[in-house]
Amino acid sequence: MIKNRQFYARMRSIGVCLALAAVLMLSCSFVFAGGSADEGEAAADMSIEDFSDKTIGVQTGSIFDKMIAEVMPDAKIAYFSTFTDEINALKAKKIDGICGTESTIRELMKQNGDISLTKDSMGEFGTCFLFPKNEKGEVLVGQMDAFITGLEESGELAHLHEVWTGKDESLKVIDDYSSFPADNGTLKFVTEGTFPPYDYFADNELVGYEVDLAVRFCKEYGYGIDLIDMNFDALMPAIQSGKCDFGASGIAATEERKENAYFSVPDYYEQIKIAYLNESSSKGGIIASIKSSFNKTFIQESRYKLFIQGILTTILITVCSVILGTLLGFLLYLWCRRGGFIANKVTAFCVWLVQGLPVIVLLMLLYYVVLGKVSISGMWVSVIGFTLVFAAAVYSMILAGVRAVDDGQTEASYALGFTDRETFFGIILPQAAQHFMPMYKSEIVSLIKATAVVGYIAVQDLTKMGDIVRSRTYEAFFPLVAVAVIYFVISAILTAIVSRITLSVDPEKRSEAKVLKGVKTDD
Amino acid sequence: MIEFRHMQKTFGTSTVLKDINATVNEGDSIAIIGPSGTGKSTLMRCLNFLDPPTGGQIFVDGEEITAPGCNINKMRQKMGMVFQSYNLFNHMTVIENIMYAPVKLLGLSRQEAYDRGIALLRQVGLAERALKYPSSLSGGQKQRVAIARTLAMDPEIILFDEPTSALDPTMVGEVEAVIEDLAKSGKTMMIVTHEMRLAKKVSNRVFYMDEGIIYEDGSTEQVFDNPVKDKTRRFVRRLKVLELFVDSRDYDFVGAITDIEQYCFKNRIPDKLCYGIRSVIEELCIAILLPVIPEPKINIVTEYSEKHQSAYITVSYPGSYRPGNTDDRLALQLIDVFSSYQSYDYDEKTGMSTVKIKIFTK
Repeated sequence: MIKNRQFYARMRSIGVCLALAAVLMLSCSFVFAGGSADEGEAAADMSIEDFSDKTIGVQTGSIFDKMIAEVMPDAKIAYFSTFTDEINALKAKKIDGICGTESTIRELMKQNGDISLTKDSMGEFGTCFLFPKNEKGEVLVGQMDAFITGLEESGELAHLHEVWTGKDESLKVIDDYSSFPADNGTLKFVTEGTFPPYDYFADNELVGYEVDLAVRFCKEYGYGIDLIDMNFDALMPAIQSGKCDFGASGIAATEERKENAYFSVPDYYEQIKIAYLNESSSKGGIIASIKSSFNKTFIQESRYKLFIQGILTTILITVCSVILGTLLGFLLYLWCRRGGFIANKVTAFCVWLVQGLPVIVLLMLLYYVVLGKVSISGMWVSVIGFTLVFAAAVYSMILAGVRAVDDGQTEASYALGFTDRETFFGIILPQAAQHFMPMYKSEIVSLIKATAVVGYIAVQDLTKMGDIVRSRTYEAFFPLVAVAVIYFVISAILTAIVSRITLSVDPEKRSEAKVLKGVKTDD
Repeated sequence: MIEFRHMQKTFGTSTVLKDINATVNEGDSIAIIGPSGTGKSTLMRCLNFLDPPTGGQIFVDGEEITAPGCNINKMRQKMGMVFQSYNLFNHMTVIENIMYAPVKLLGLSRQEAYDRGIALLRQVGLAERALKYPSSLSGGQKQRVAIARTLAMDPEIILFDEPTSALDPTMVGEVEAVIEDLAKSGKTMMIVTHEMRLAKKVSNRVFYMDEGIIYEDGSTEQVFDNPVKDKTRRFVRRLKVLELFVDSRDYDFVGAITDIEQYCFKNRIPDKLCYGIRSVIEELCIAILLPVIPEPKINIVTEYSEKHQSAYITVSYPGSYRPGNTDDRLALQLIDVFSSYQSYDYDEKTGMSTVKIKIFTK
């Protein structure tokens, strides 16, 4: 797949091992230190030609590598999976330049004074809106084409682009779309908000050139609009399934993509240029760098609010899934315990399915296929998905825990005259709990980390918020380490709570007074 | 009180109990004996439905518990069961193990249950362990607690399923003492056991089980001393008699000593007498006979009489060798020390010699 997008910080923290945090911290200080190295040899105003024998970084899957190969056959190409990685490589002088579009590089230059842009460009491409291949999409794409063409003719389009790429932040405002009359219904617009100046978060609101265009379009044609932020990989499925009505994220039309969606006429033609390290302005020591990183990551534009929102979302999903999953897993176990063949087969199959599927696939299936036609937010789909995952784990651990209790316990209880139910709840379960509680704790920790993928179905959790901040600040490590530390703290708190519960239900940890509650002893 | 009518139990294709017919009366203390695998434990497990019978009827206090819709949980409250592997509830203290069922099932207050529990623990000698967890008790202590737990429900009958089989020999005594006390108090009980002295001590009636039925049903004295049926006689005899057969000059005498000691332990033969039996067999058979007889074929039968506090050893072997003719004077002297009577006999027809020795200690 050809991918023109390069400026979204597509950091997938799925399964990021928290033990790496310390290593990351270390690397972090190197990066900060690297930023202050001063060579000052690169001259300003370089052109494409100057890079003809240099090493140039491109993002994997983009069209830039082909372009470089055509224009500068002697240049070496280094592939990176995210734009942030390219910047780090550039700063560490592993590569000589980064290939990208002009507006994104200019955005980068605002944050990094030591990066410059070539005078000339290698070529250009147009970014478009895309629509699902259905009747509604066909109507909308027609309207959008007319809308963009109209703006272009009046010169408004170029003016808007200038505003969004310009330095005057006060002009970068979007109409209050919540008050649109929505006579013709409300449209869902989807984008990944990690792509300035097109689609990004400023002051914790989704803004940008394309967002502005989308809002103006809806106003013009009498629609209401919902803005949805989603991981880039999930944009195409969201459009194809009709879950969203239109989307954009600096995407160019290619023949291949046109098979899956309608594309509007381009809303802007981007120049492709090379960014390079100009000269390093001394930034001071590591402490100062960290201070500045902290400032950018948390303080500027009150970005800490994004983190708080992300933390709350992550905790909400985790806690809801733990509670509901425990209930569901437990009920499933009860159903299967005395249930016959069918109950066990059905449950075993579902557990096998849920545990066998990667969580991300399960979530996407739920969001686009199973609940595709239902109006339900990604947040609750996540809760449903992780409830299933956790229930499967709980079911399995109860099964194992109960098996670990000797059959003689059941027999002794029956022989005393207890019913099956009384035996299970009074004798078997308390003993089984001692076996499965340690597993339960580690499952919760796994669950917290597993929730990092919900960005794929339009949920802004902690990881996603970290990505959003990274895409604005171009800080490689600081937000990542911050996110890791926050995950650590959340896990620690949740496991501490569960440990407390475990201790309070551990029969052998009871005090004598509790054992003899309501009893007077002679001695 | 309990009546079995043509009760059957099959597991898959194998029929363990074919046709059980018996009546248990109040005050009966029944020992169920018989070879392994004849369904002794199954009989009891059928009675309290841990293994529901597959045919026939069981009546408890006139009520048919095999009838559909019978509240088996209520029935089980009338029948306490003590298991071979104790099965104490591991997540509860000793006193809670005892209080749990009376509070939940009989509706006793915690105080009542506690008082009763402590009294029962005193009865089995474990009151000071009330707040301990089962994991910190020895096997014998666990079994005594299990008995107390059963008694706490005040059952009409107690079923003991090999209560001492899993115990270390040193702990058998303490559990037996408790069961004996119960038997003396006139409690109705059924006990499956391989320990014949326990069976003799605590029972007033014996079921000998074989061939899937209650093969012989009689009073303890009758079954042990004068069994009516041949199979019973053989079984009972095997319990009382130790037979050893030396068939090689390299006979495993160390193994034989273990057999002798086990036999002595089971029959509660005093240590001194046991030592005597061991020494006589060792000297006579291994030291004197084995090197000289033409063929290594020595049959040794040991029988113990509790009444006379003496053991009778009969040794038969091929040939006409007289043990008194041996050069090993030391061995002869040793035999003399332990024995109070010796006889020698040679049967010309069979070509076999027989030596009889009575061992007696004061």
